[in-house]
Amino acid sequence: MEKFAVLQLSGCAGCEVSLLNADAWVDKYQLVYMPLVISASGVPEVDILLVSGGVRTDEDLHNLKRSVKKANKVVAVGTCAISGGVTNLGNREEVRNFFMNQSEQRDLPRLLADCRPIADFVKVERYLPGCPPTPELFMAVLFDPPDFKAGNSVCVECNRKKDKTMKPKRLSGHLHGNVQPGICLINQGFLCIGTSTRGGCGALCTNPGQPCVGCRGPSNAFIEKESDAWFASIKKVFSKMTEIPEPEIDSALRSAQMAMFLYQFIDYAGDNPNVPSKKEIL
Amino acid sequence: MTTLTFPLSRIEGHAQVVIEVEDGDVKSAHFKAMELRGFAHFLKDQPADQMPVIVTRICGVCSTAHHVASVKALEDAYGVEPPPLAKKIRELMMLGQMLQNQATSLFIFTMPDRLGLSIIFQEEVSQEVAKEKQGIAGRALKVRKAGTDLITLAGGQFIHPVKAVVGGVTSGIPKDDAAAMKKQLEDALPMARELFDFYWKSSETLHDRIGTWGDDRPACYIAATGKTKPDYYGDRMRLLIPDNENIIDFQSRDFRKHLDFEETDYSYSAMTTYKGNALRANSLARINIADSMGTPLADEYLSIFREIHGNPANGILLFDIARGIELVYSIERSIELLGEDLENGEPAVPHTETDGEGFGLVEAPRGPLVHRYKIKDGLIEDIEFIIPTVHNVHSIELALMTAAKRYISKEKVDMELERAVGRVVRAFDPCIACATH
Repeated sequence: MEKFAVLQLSGCAGCEVSLLNADAWVDKYQLVYMPLVISASGVPEVDILLVSGGVRTDEDLHNLKRSVKKANKVVAVGTCAISGGVTNLGNREEVRNFFMNQSEQRDLPRLLADCRPIADFVKVERYLPGCPPTPELFMAVLFDPPDFKAGNSVCVECNRKKDKTMKPKRLSGHLHGNVQPGICLINQGFLCIGTSTRGGCGALCTNPGQPCVGCRGPSNAFIEKESDAWFASIKKVFSKMTEIPEPEIDSALRSAQMAMFLYQFIDYAGDNPNVPSKKEIL
Repeated sequence: MTTLTFPLSRIEGHAQVVIEVEDGDVKSAHFKAMELRGFAHFLKDQPADQMPVIVTRICGVCSTAHHVASVKALEDAYGVEPPPLAKKIRELMMLGQMLQNQATSLFIFTMPDRLGLSIIFQEEVSQEVAKEKQGIAGRALKVRKAGTDLITLAGGQFIHPVKAVVGGVTSGIPKDDAAAMKKQLEDALPMARELFDFYWKSSETLHDRIGTWGDDRPACYIAATGKTKPDYYGDRMRLLIPDNENIIDFQSRDFRKHLDFEETDYSYSAMTTYKGNALRANSLARINIADSMGTPLADEYLSIFREIHGNPANGILLFDIARGIELVYSIERSIELLGEDLENGEPAVPHTETDGEGFGLVEAPRGPLVHRYKIKDGLIEDIEFIIPTVHNVHSIELALMTAAKRYISKEKVDMELERAVGRVVRAFDPCIACATH
């Protein structure tokens, strides 16, 4: 039986909880390390190491480096491991100062200046983005079925239909109620970026009425480009489908909720960026 | 001075226990939270109305509670009252979370302690245990899955829900979907009961072996659940004080009048006290505070529990058994709610965003959770998360002290200590991602 391990760095355990919703691995893989469900000291030799969470502390870094040596294949799982996720909102002087102070006051793992993607420190063979990736995506990364194909974009997987007669003049804000069923969220004035977000999630947010915030990251059309190409393209989508003034769209596209998406672009990824190529990402 | 360090597993997040001993005398027992991401700091100056999407990322285990607390905090600030349909659907989200969490804590985190295993899945075990263990993992995953599916149905996304919005929810639940979910829960109920019965029996066996339910000093209990029966949607904070028959209740916005918070230099988590006393939150607090469960099967379990352990019950390992009663309640109550009309009626009311301060309270699986947002020009000026696990830190340390004294003497450290440390911490089911956030 092949062996796999799950190493959780600084994150929320949402990836692990998602994995627990799948059971197809039980017959093929032995789970030998995952502190959330098993008592074991350190990662033993494994075929696949799934790493979730970002590198926030010196202990994260130590555990990461020690663990990848035991693995044949390393997979970065979830938005935090791939880009640092929402914690990138803390990449500001005043927040950094707070972190440094916290570290100095305590006898605990030292905090690094920022929460970093794991690929900044170790070689990653495969990337599985999503916040979190669905159980089906976890199984796809473990079993690598030749016929597995995720939709090009969340938009392709979404059941909502476009309505050319609806051309909103203002953004509806992100969280106003009264979402009309069955109709495209952009037509209702919501800031949805499902047209350019990697598919594979089954559009599980947009179908019940939550605009896509792009946690799966840029689709293949954008993943190897810089963010400017995407900003230009998504603004075109909105100018075609709505009458919302461009500055309003532009500022919303750069707001906090877009952090999970934007930081997956190479020009958002810091000084020594390591972002996945089309071939490495699921 | 000897320092004993115990890494922890089968809990959420990175924590360890450090016990200091001098000549067989236990000097201290510390519960150390080892991680920090800084949500309360990096969310400053961000748009307030985006919080319900972002704060779910504090925790993948308690996500639903953060999602609902966030929306309630904004509604409090904006002065919006959601319609009845929205409240029902939010209650269902909270029930799905409770069901999923209690099933995970009971059958994945703590069942191995009852059976002498390190994991509930796949391990080579003795024939005797293998016979008992037969099918536990499979059934546990099925019961858990019912909780996840309920979160998905009521909340949209399965880990970080999305359907609660300021003013209500994005949509109701179609009749057929509700009926299918009801059926799934009806099938899960007998499975959950069998597992819980087995768990309770195994806990009695464990008790007979070790001779204790753990630290059973009378304690202060805190919860945001209903007084007469559970209500995880949360209205007021309630405090049960030993030697006082009355329950003190107060609004979440007054929490600072009653609770004190203390930072330490050995943990990234703070700890809460009430007038210098340790607090206990989570399942046992709710069971001790509520008069009844309000559903037939859960009430049967509760009356047996109270007959044996009294009210209030105080042993640490009783947190685990209380969790089982709540598991049964969550399924029963969800079945009730899914039988009602969740399709028709206004899912949300309109609102206007204003500046101000808002408090959002829910009863999360680990206890009362409060989000406090101060909003200026639509941006977060100040933000605070009052986390249930933080209420328990002091009590965890007291219970660890009790366990350490039991198993450490001048002559030796009993091998049982390591297992006891794990059992004590898991009884509180702490969440470190939340506690440090």
